[in-house]
Amino acid sequence: MRVFSVLKAVSLFIMIVPMVSFSADFNSETKQYIQVLETQAKKQESTFKGFDPERGKKLFFEEHPNEKTGKISCATCHTSDLKKSGKTLVGKPIDPLAPSVNRNRLTNVKEIEKWLLRNFKQVYGREGTAKEKGDVLMFIKTQ
Amino acid sequence: MDMNILKIFFPVVLLAIISASLGIARGQVEGRPVGDSVKSGQVANNVYVKECGACHLAYQPQFLPKRSWVKIMNTLDDHFGENASLDEAARTQILAYLAGNSAETSRSKMSRKILSSINDADTPLRITGTSYFKKEYDEFPPDVFKRKAIVSPSNCAACHPAADKGDFNEHNVKIPKN
Repeated sequence: MRVFSVLKAVSLFIMIVPMVSFSADFNSETKQYIQVLETQAKKQESTFKGFDPERGKKLFFEEHPNEKTGKISCATCHTSDLKKSGKTLVGKPIDPLAPSVNRNRLTNVKEIEKWLLRNFKQVYGREGTAKEKGDVLMFIKTQ
Repeated sequence: MDMNILKIFFPVVLLAIISASLGIARGQVEGRPVGDSVKSGQVANNVYVKECGACHLAYQPQFLPKRSWVKIMNTLDDHFGENASLDEAARTQILAYLAGNSAETSRSKMSRKILSSINDADTPLRITGTSYFKKEYDEFPPDVFKRKAIVSPSNCAACHPAADKGDFNEHNVKIPKN
């Protein structure tokens, strides 16, 4: 009997853990980063009213000329369904971007900054502005 | 003390202890000194695997001479047309690992063949650019590499499923049909 109650407790624990970590909100580290971006965006644009996932979506799918691939957008590697695995330009699989299926996404600011920097340069040929970065993060968050 | 509460919390605590000790074990691996590698193929540097392996196979350092790794790690802002820049701490750590385990340090037949296929005056940046690689793969028409599941000759793992373990044995090759 004791074994059963232990099993019950373990399964309860396993059920609860994902419920907590799947919460739709950013963790505190990422929240802080979003606030930093917000402050920068306000400084750069006095009419800034907050980040917008719809603008982020546009940025994600906007195509730009590229030497290797002809055209490139974020979706070239991450695919147009963020819940699915993507593929790098040399074919290595990329874990899904959508936090709803990959709970590690958008949890580590160092990683977020690194990839936003690299990938904006890759697709747009320049760094993203604070507003653009925030918009894209908000779009990814809704996925 | 209510035994029911104990019954519920015991496994929770147990799980916490187990996951914590797993974390510690992982930390120990990460703390392993740079250069302490397995010469025979398994890549043994976590920073290298994480940073470089995010986009492509963390190629075995034994596949290129030291001078190639130095040049690659000094030109990351234009890495075959992509921006792959790293923070300085990661960059120097990875460079030390690659340079310390380059083809010259390996006794494997493959490393020796690769080295002898490269002119002293050349510093190849691609493993696929060495004469050794070209000769090994000259039996394949170029469109094989364009298949959807392969994409490019740089995608070793598409046909060598255990490439990350250093297994490039011909008998274990599985070439995707599409």
